[in-house]
Amino acid sequence: MSGFWILVRKDLHAEFRKPEAVISMAFFGFLLLVILNLAIPMGAEISPETGAGILWVAITFSSVLGLARTMSREKENCCMDGLLLSPMSAESLFGAKMAVNFTLMLMAELSIIPLFFILYGDTFFHSLPMLVLVVFLANIGFAATGTLFSAITAGTNRNEALLPLLFYPVVIPLISITVKVTAMIFQGAGPVEYSSWLYVMTAYGLIFSGLGFLLLDQVIRE
Amino acid sequence: MTSSLREKICISLAGLLFMTAIYMVFVYAPTERVMGPIQKIFYFHLSCALVTFLSFFTAFVSAIVYLIKKDLKWDILGAASVEIGLVFTTLVLATGMLWGRPVWNAWWTWDPRLTTSLILWFIYGSYFILRSSVDRQEKRAVFCAVLAIVGFVDVPIVFLSARLWRTIHPVVIRAGSIDMAPAMITTLIVALIAFTCLWGLLLYQRTRTLTLAGRVRLLERQLDGEGI
Amino acid sequence: MADFLAVNNLGKEYEGRRALHKVSFGLQQGDFLSLFGPNGAGKSTLLRIISTLTSAGSGKVEIKGFDLAEEPEAFKMQLGVISHQSLLYGHMTARENLIFYGSLYKVDDPEQRAEELLRIVELYPRRHSRVSRFSRGMCQRLSIARALVNDPSLLLLDEPFSGLDQYASAILTEQLGELRSRARTVIMVTHSLDRGLAAATRVGILAGGRLVYLEERDTIDPSAFEGLYMEYVHGARAA
Repeated sequence: MSGFWILVRKDLHAEFRKPEAVISMAFFGFLLLVILNLAIPMGAEISPETGAGILWVAITFSSVLGLARTMSREKENCCMDGLLLSPMSAESLFGAKMAVNFTLMLMAELSIIPLFFILYGDTFFHSLPMLVLVVFLANIGFAATGTLFSAITAGTNRNEALLPLLFYPVVIPLISITVKVTAMIFQGAGPVEYSSWLYVMTAYGLIFSGLGFLLLDQVIRE
Repeated sequence: MTSSLREKICISLAGLLFMTAIYMVFVYAPTERVMGPIQKIFYFHLSCALVTFLSFFTAFVSAIVYLIKKDLKWDILGAASVEIGLVFTTLVLATGMLWGRPVWNAWWTWDPRLTTSLILWFIYGSYFILRSSVDRQEKRAVFCAVLAIVGFVDVPIVFLSARLWRTIHPVVIRAGSIDMAPAMITTLIVALIAFTCLWGLLLYQRTRTLTLAGRVRLLERQLDGEGI
Repeated sequence: MADFLAVNNLGKEYEGRRALHKVSFGLQQGDFLSLFGPNGAGKSTLLRIISTLTSAGSGKVEIKGFDLAEEPEAFKMQLGVISHQSLLYGHMTARENLIFYGSLYKVDDPEQRAEELLRIVELYPRRHSRVSRFSRGMCQRLSIARALVNDPSLLLLDEPFSGLDQYASAILTEQLGELRSRARTVIMVTHSLDRGLAAATRVGILAGGRLVYLEERDTIDPSAFEGLYMEYVHGARAA
């Protein structure tokens, strides 16, 4: 078994035993869905754009809680040093942490998205199959950027508090594209109309995974 | 260290160039028919945008060089570039808003170029928050270099995604043709050169100041006790 | 014979200050090197570079011909490190910690190796307890086991006895003796001259980032060593 799987298994095992990251993500996401309801006028029909915006604000804001946790778990007793001492490469370390972040986001989304449909109407329900694809592509981008930045913030003296400040400016383009595509799906647009945006999302995921693989070693090693 | 004669000449020349540019903008260049005198802010707006690009590109390149060579002078060059870039991004936004108010009848529109500048402002603004949160110089340099690289790579994606907010930004320079009177073009070129000179001077001075500040800190620490 | 561990012209700068300058030495298999030096002499930096946690500014390190920079994986397979930090996960049990690290080092049977080590450090009865519930002394014993999980051919110790309770330091001393009998190589950084001299086959002094002294243990008179040490440290300070 490679270092990648050993690390993924260790992190997910810890999360299953005590699901603190997923529970706080889902809880905060749920909370945001309720709070964002304030932006909608009484009794008004929710437009697809507003719906998509609310859904993704809830997902991205709650995801930061999990992203920060994945890296800071290695700070306790300097466990990161233990990983660096081991023969595992920095590339598999990045891959493993990214896979864990991806999984955590997915698990949180599994509760946030159904809650969204319940709270904001099942008129969007027809869009579920394509939404799965969008969630998948968005998660790759978020997980890659979040893994790289949480490695940086874990090395600063402000820790997790710094992550949202670095993370959101860089992922704004991904968020805006994701919201746009989700809105089009809610409207019932065909895949032809937004396929080019799906390519941009894929490109974002690939570029930031590439940057993470290249740069993580520099970030975690002195 | 007193500024040498060569520096004084450079500063005077840049000053002269700047005066020329201002003269040309306000006197030499014709007033635009539709927009009137407010159009003149365009020369400064575009020049600031150029300086912004030069700064962030320099920061990107020096970040890569730093990660390869691990020489702190590249970190200082990067930090100086981002500082200047951030100031000029602010100017781009400010001049854009001043122009937009009378012409578009709104301080702000979610136009791709404006939106891109604003997101750039956030990305490079976070660079300084990050910089102030790390004590160890080497670590700080690596973190900032990574952010400078990631931020710069993000720019085209930011611009692409900002198109989602439909544009009303005027396209002055299209591929192959320019929609401007010749006197305006000359003025624009002089303004661009003047701002590039200003950028060079600022970058040089800022790099030197930061280098000296680093030296002072090192000396202080050595005085404190054998450089530990 | 080629050196088992070869350190060549190692240099490192922190914030424009030299932490290490042209440090070179070689060790044979079975050597036990005790490194002494005042605070800030570069001892920890040297160990961190050899343990791959810090990148070298210049120079190179090789174990059995594996270059640290070129073949980091093969290099790290040979290493074990005991530092001030336990490098243990609090939310995992003692056994899980050892199995996790064992699998990272591709140990043949991590479960069996973990139980064997738990017996050695006398934590076997507590193997299913979470590390966060362990006392400091137990953590220290477990971190000794952690460092030995891949049966390292080079063990790096940074002030291993400082803060160790008597029980843990007895176990560590015993394990060091056991490693020595199997011709394992050890580098130990310590402040305690007595402890360092007792275990060593070779003795070095780092001062001001330079290796100013390196001799065979047999040639040293323990009673005169403290004076010698002070002389070298002051000599380096004056230079």
